[in-house]
Amino acid sequence: MKEIKEYNIVITGVGGQGVLTAASILGWAALHAGYKVRMGEVHGMSQRFGSVVSYVRFGDEVYGSMVPEGKGDVILSFEPVEALRYINHIKRGGMVVANTKPIVPVQVSMGKASYPGLGEIKKIVEEDFRGRWIGFNAEELAIKAGHAITTNTVLIGALTQIPEFPLDEGHVREVIRLSVPPKAVDMNMKAFDLGVRAAKDILRL
Amino acid sequence: MAKVTDMVLWDKPGERVLLLGNQAIARGALEANIAVYAAYPGTPSSELTDTMAIVAKRAGVYMEYSTNEKVAFETALAASWSGLRAMTAMKHVGLNVAADTFLSSVGMGVEGGFVIMVADDPSMWSSQNEQDTRVYAKFANVPVLEPSDPHEAKEMVKYAFNLSEKFKHFVMLRTTTRSSHARGDVVLGELPEEIKAGKRRFGKFNKDPTRFVDIPAHSRKFHPQILEKIGKIREELNECPFNWIEGREEARVGIIAPGLSYAYVKEALHWLGVKNVKILKLGTPFPVPYGLLEKFMDGLEKVLIVEELEPVVEEQVKTWAYDRGLRIPIHGKDLVPRVYEMTTRRAVTAIAQFLGIETPLNYEALDAKYSKVLEILPPRPPSLCPACPHRNSFFAIKKATHSKGIYPSDIGCYTLGLLPPLNAVDTTVAMGGSIGIAHGLEIAQHGSVSEEGRKKEKKVVVATIGDSTFFHTGLPALANAIYNRSNVLIVVLDNLVTAMTGDQPNPSTGQTPHGPGKRIPIEDVAKAMGADFVAVVDPYDIKATYETVKKALEVEGVSVVVSRQVCALYRIGQMRRRGEKWPIYYVDEDACTGCKICINAYGCPAIYWDEEKKQARIEPSMCWGCGGCAQICPFGAFKPVEGGDE
Repeated sequence: MKEIKEYNIVITGVGGQGVLTAASILGWAALHAGYKVRMGEVHGMSQRFGSVVSYVRFGDEVYGSMVPEGKGDVILSFEPVEALRYINHIKRGGMVVANTKPIVPVQVSMGKASYPGLGEIKKIVEEDFRGRWIGFNAEELAIKAGHAITTNTVLIGALTQIPEFPLDEGHVREVIRLSVPPKAVDMNMKAFDLGVRAAKDILRL
Repeated sequence: MAKVTDMVLWDKPGERVLLLGNQAIARGALEANIAVYAAYPGTPSSELTDTMAIVAKRAGVYMEYSTNEKVAFETALAASWSGLRAMTAMKHVGLNVAADTFLSSVGMGVEGGFVIMVADDPSMWSSQNEQDTRVYAKFANVPVLEPSDPHEAKEMVKYAFNLSEKFKHFVMLRTTTRSSHARGDVVLGELPEEIKAGKRRFGKFNKDPTRFVDIPAHSRKFHPQILEKIGKIREELNECPFNWIEGREEARVGIIAPGLSYAYVKEALHWLGVKNVKILKLGTPFPVPYGLLEKFMDGLEKVLIVEELEPVVEEQVKTWAYDRGLRIPIHGKDLVPRVYEMTTRRAVTAIAQFLGIETPLNYEALDAKYSKVLEILPPRPPSLCPACPHRNSFFAIKKATHSKGIYPSDIGCYTLGLLPPLNAVDTTVAMGGSIGIAHGLEIAQHGSVSEEGRKKEKKVVVATIGDSTFFHTGLPALANAIYNRSNVLIVVLDNLVTAMTGDQPNPSTGQTPHGPGKRIPIEDVAKAMGADFVAVVDPYDIKATYETVKKALEVEGVSVVVSRQVCALYRIGQMRRRGEKWPIYYVDEDACTGCKICINAYGCPAIYWDEEKKQARIEPSMCWGCGGCAQICPFGAFKPVEGGDE
């Protein structure tokens, strides 16, 4: 176990996408690795297809359940625009790992709001907030693995490839293996691998 | 991986597991040998009750979902009077409902330990208001414990039961969203033999009318007794293991950090690199133990209290200091906001200001950058789910009233009917409030004349209320409306579960967590009370719902329509578990004219607008197959996909 003061992950997406599940997997992986863990979640009404956020934090100096603004090592986003909603949490040089498949909010369909382009989102992350960006269509890869429901596994696979990521890829993989129903293990392992590959390609590893 | 609910019952002392604050509290109650638990769900307290529901049978604990917090409170209290350890839990506003019993019975005390868990929701993540339960504790003169992490929450429950029995007094455990919904590593303790064996425990009620009958002659002695108890408890808390002093002994500045604020203070000090400071960590914001406070204050030249919401600790500290003639600066709400939740940023900012140092981040610059982002972000508020039956009910109500009605609603998922395009909620206040508000609106709109004069008028007020809320506090309001000859339509949105808090059963479900309960059909209640029109309709049939609502509007007096269809989220969850498929719909490109009725009047989140083709589209992964879109589309453009999905 690498000794760390704190490592902060912000997970964002739309209620129902599996943000809580992803947080739980990363939290358990950190616990198994021997770290002190704190996670923050919001339940109740905010889960109903609205914007949701979860925090996973670990390390010796972690006490509260929320990632402080400007301290996020990673934003793992299930939806492109949701990465921006919590972008004030990223630290300089932090990484945004985002699914680029949008879920169009009702108000955009109604013509009462507009949806920013991917280029604009990436530019804000990289230029305004000095973050790094790994964006790819994780849902497409999940479908390739067997079902769109594995989108979160694809994203977690990609997350483990961040050079500074302190958790062991094997640890994370093992927690996923134990968390999903037995018949879904193979599909999720495939999804994980596709995420790993996608991140490696983008990071040129 | 083992299910978290199983871990709560693990007989593995010393094992380190990751538990939600609420689950840790459930484990604490089991380690404390609880026998009776009763609660009404409410975010952010619900997972405590849900965890108890799952483990109760195996642990030999009586557990129930009560119909409201007051009933739950009374159920648990009476068990305590009979010598059993008992607990109730609620969200902060639930205590308002239970407050009559709470404040009336506090003087009667307890026999078996009695712990009241109340979960506050600063910043209102899922609540109608922001209130600080510690004020209630002070009001009632009941000690309140507040954890700084999940493990401490578990330990506090055990301490709370012992404290309650030692002083024969109520004890509160107050959490917030960020402690109830924080997950952290928890070390399991010993489970009592009774819990491990699932042993049935019997209480015995010893009659004592001078104590349990609160006629004035009896209860006059209560107030002095309560004050004596709380005075002794304040002394006791000097030794409480959740209160301590840490940091530099020789420091001249001090920070007092109650409850979860301690976590933020620790992080802030680390980030700021401040070491020359003394901290008073308080697990008991009321009553503040004055002995420990005195020790802490000794030698300090200034103090900051980093406290969320109301200045509960601050007022006690300042009163204490004044009485001792201590005249050092004591900061609190001048540097720490009194509204919304505590954050590390708030703690950092307050401490930096207190010490006259720079913050590690330029927050002004960050806010400026971030506000530009917010300008281009499309809002994504929570919405009614795809296939939500409430959407159809609201759609039918709006259509039947030509959008010209007044629509009081209530507390539940259906509050989201407020949002465009439905715009079908004009008021919500508190649980069960829709019917009373509807009655008052009706009187005012139809003129302040006797019942007969108003009854002839056309109905303009349509209230909506959920099944669980109806049983919670809707019942007395319906009785009132019928008795006083109101002229309103009440649509009970009966989705057969308490959906918003996590699909808990209620009298309309009929089931209890432990097997069948007795189902109470809402239409029978309305009929028995004497409503002038009662009908049951399936909102998945939009035309039938519209026609029923229209008919109900024409009847003089109080009409009740029970719009019954199981919660879609609950149904889909069940189907997923069973591996079942459901139909999904698509848009026939030849039929869609781009009229946008589906988007601008119906608003299912699975339907979106294809800007290029100028047509509606369905996101297949979000369609739950209710077919509502096919019913409201004038051009028949929505069609089921052959073979369905999933």
